[in-house]
Amino acid sequence: MKSYLTLTLLVLIAIAPVVRADLDRSKKPEAGPAPQASFPAYKEYTLENGLKVFIVESDRQPTVTLRLLVRSGSAFDGSKPGLDDLMTSLLDRGTKDRSATEFARQLDFVGASLNAGVNSDATSVSTTGLTKFGEQILDLFSDAVLRPTFPADELAKEKVKALSELAADKKEPSALGARLRKALLFGAHPYGASASEESVKSIGPADVAAFHRAYFLPNNATLAVVGDVKAEEVLARVKAAFRDWKPGELPKSDWPAFPKQSGATVYLIDRPGSVQSNILVAQLGVPRDNPMVPELNVLSSALGGGSSGRLFQNLREQHGWTYGAYASFGFQKTGGIFSSGAEVRNPVTDLAIAEILKEVNRIRSEPIPENELALQRDYSVGNYLLSLESPERTAERVQEIDLYNLPKDFYRTYARRLSSVTSAQALELAKKYLSTSDVAIIVVGDASQIKSKLEKFGKVHVYDTDLKPMPDAVAK
Amino acid sequence: MPMPYLFSVVAIMSLLLGTARAKTPDDPSIGLRPIEFTEYDLENGLHVILHENHEAPVIASYVLYHVGSKNEQADRTGFAHFFEHLMFEGSENIPRGGIDKLVSSAGGNLNASTSFDQTDYYINLPSNQLKLALWIESERMMHGKVEKTGVETQREVVKEERRRNYDNRPYGTLFENLAAMVFKGTPYAWTPIGSLEYIDQASIEEFREFYKKNYVPNNATLSIAGDFKTDELKKLIADYFGPIPKGDPILRPEFSLPPQTTPETRTVEKENTPLPATLHAWHAARKADPDRYPLDLLTNIMAVGNSSRLYRRLVDQEQVALGVAAFPYLLEEGGVVGVLATGNQGVAIEKLDRLIEEEIEKVRKEGVTEEEFQKALNQQSSDAASSYGTMGSRARELAAFHVFFGDAHLINTDLARYLAVKREDLQRVANKYFAPDGLNTLHYPVAAKAEQPEPAAADNPTK
Repeated sequence: MKSYLTLTLLVLIAIAPVVRADLDRSKKPEAGPAPQASFPAYKEYTLENGLKVFIVESDRQPTVTLRLLVRSGSAFDGSKPGLDDLMTSLLDRGTKDRSATEFARQLDFVGASLNAGVNSDATSVSTTGLTKFGEQILDLFSDAVLRPTFPADELAKEKVKALSELAADKKEPSALGARLRKALLFGAHPYGASASEESVKSIGPADVAAFHRAYFLPNNATLAVVGDVKAEEVLARVKAAFRDWKPGELPKSDWPAFPKQSGATVYLIDRPGSVQSNILVAQLGVPRDNPMVPELNVLSSALGGGSSGRLFQNLREQHGWTYGAYASFGFQKTGGIFSSGAEVRNPVTDLAIAEILKEVNRIRSEPIPENELALQRDYSVGNYLLSLESPERTAERVQEIDLYNLPKDFYRTYARRLSSVTSAQALELAKKYLSTSDVAIIVVGDASQIKSKLEKFGKVHVYDTDLKPMPDAVAK
Repeated sequence: MPMPYLFSVVAIMSLLLGTARAKTPDDPSIGLRPIEFTEYDLENGLHVILHENHEAPVIASYVLYHVGSKNEQADRTGFAHFFEHLMFEGSENIPRGGIDKLVSSAGGNLNASTSFDQTDYYINLPSNQLKLALWIESERMMHGKVEKTGVETQREVVKEERRRNYDNRPYGTLFENLAAMVFKGTPYAWTPIGSLEYIDQASIEEFREFYKKNYVPNNATLSIAGDFKTDELKKLIADYFGPIPKGDPILRPEFSLPPQTTPETRTVEKENTPLPATLHAWHAARKADPDRYPLDLLTNIMAVGNSSRLYRRLVDQEQVALGVAAFPYLLEEGGVVGVLATGNQGVAIEKLDRLIEEEIEKVRKEGVTEEEFQKALNQQSSDAASSYGTMGSRARELAAFHVFFGDAHLINTDLARYLAVKREDLQRVANKYFAPDGLNTLHYPVAAKAEQPEPAAADNPTK
């Protein structure tokens, strides 16, 4: 009997979890010393034609990513908004050596795809594929960015799609709000423009070819190479692939100033049948090269950067009005936007706007309590550190430094800047850059259900989903 | 290339579908580096998977509970997802709202999602904060607290989530309608977001019962990847999770999709549908069925890339569609394979249907070419190579392979299974699954007239 008991005990000890008595579940565990958020190493070269090449070596995956960033974007569309977008959609639809069909066949065969992104300031073209197909991928990629032929029939196809996309955007609340926001804040400056049916229809093959010729220049671009590569080897290949790319002189541009926002005005886009109102409280922000960007990021994080931000805590966790409420700066090259927003059910639209304004006002009139600011600093630094895990993101940041002429050490000093923001600094920045009196309150929703409640915030201008002003009588 | 609209439809689909496609590596010819890990069970049944990796000072914690919307009763749809929201409220040792704050102030981020078969919670942190993740997740498993204030608030939040992601968004109810048609008569017929009315009806007692039954270590997998020492972490896991009592044995719903013998069509008229869209869908294999490999490859050939069959035909040659997509969405007890086309303005939906039918018929009759087959294998290899770049993706996929395939090693060997597929298998699965009698067609026409937003919902809502 005894031996049986002993045996049982032994077995129990062997399989029982070792529970340390000192584990106190009532307190949060102590953290170890914080790791350094050190910006990963990269290599930088400049080719003879002026193309800057950044290489980030990472062997975590057997892939290579190429990303060309051209320092001109849709702000250079001129009188034909949508031009840059159409141009980039045609890069792989016929090149000097390959038809659109042949290009697709070859690129798909190696399991890669070409992606493009256009914003006001820049145009990016990128691809990711297996390292073992690196040569073919570089060949296809350079063919698309250097030697597109813009066949008329391919342009015609892309225009049909572009027109369908415009139609689709008119039913999408977030697209409607963003489009009106930039038109209001940037006015006649090209940042305010969006493609329209008329502008898309007016674009011809000569326009896209001219845009490509004018801006796709090696002295107006950077190339990032990321992944399982050896810098010297890949540099030699890149040199060969981009050797014949000739530099050129960029066209001059002369842009009007942004309109001045004065007073609070409500802009209601009537989207009948909406079961939520999309709210954006927007104003002009600052350009990306503003020297206080790290501090401004902590400030906007405190107001609405995540689930611990004031807007989220207030509108979602206290009131249950929304799935999420956020605020952020949108930094661009020559200006920017600051915007706070949420999507809320119709009956609380006005209450939510009032709370957003209240929170913006509070952060610009009272210092952020030290414990709250500490949380936001640590949140910002930690999440920056987590983002350094991605080598692709590192390459994008290096290209961003070049695009916006930022100090070389911007990201090397970023964590330190984030972690040293003081309450006084945050208050000063909030007073300087945030407003509750001179704002555009943009609401996308069902006017018949919400319009009358919005008048308390300012004059209400009603638009249809074509963003054409509606006479007052129409929207009751 | 820049396709904002199409991409938004695809984004909606991927939101609805969650992590539909289990992708993986390990083929020496593309140079995949094996992902090493340790796995074991605690005495209380908790399965633990640890992938130690010191490349970056970060850790990803991932907890998968093997309970999702298919465990719900038809008069309590949305329950599992609603419950997921409540699991952020706090615990006996963490005050209400504390979880968000703890993770934020530790420099991390967190979220959760609920789908048909599972509910998962993840926390990403700088590696010095590892213990915080263990504390929070063990509190969630041991001391979850459901209180009136939290229930009332989250009820409203979940309703806004539903309005935002499903009711107020063009095509937002697509997957919900698809599930109702294809999975009719099974617990997959409703989607995880559930119905607004049931969210109001659930009582606190029901939540407590659900917690007691499902949020137990023997129904959970804890997967952690990143910068830690495995031996030390094992001890910590024993400390934090060891004392959690084992729950009752888990009874899982088991069912099969009833065979479908006649095609069915549904039309959803919504005031804010901007472009005509059609979805063709058929029953497909269970998630762990070997047919998933040829099915994935087949759908690559049908709709991935500008050289794919449906893209070539509908977008490029006939110019009737803005975009096309094809997807297998395989769940534990049954699956669906679908083809989606969003038409250009003014295109008749029937025209899209006819072209899809022709292409489906063609692949059934003729199979795929050798070049297409090689291309699909390369696309799959490329996917596998780019799927495990972050610690978060590694923790998640290790857990998913363990729970749904019974083999976490698939993270390293799954690609080999794709590479072992024979070209003829693609025609075989085309014939097996794309049967005309089993076709379900869902139409979203551009409606002129106004319509009431419909009730009910979809998959993989995040917190």
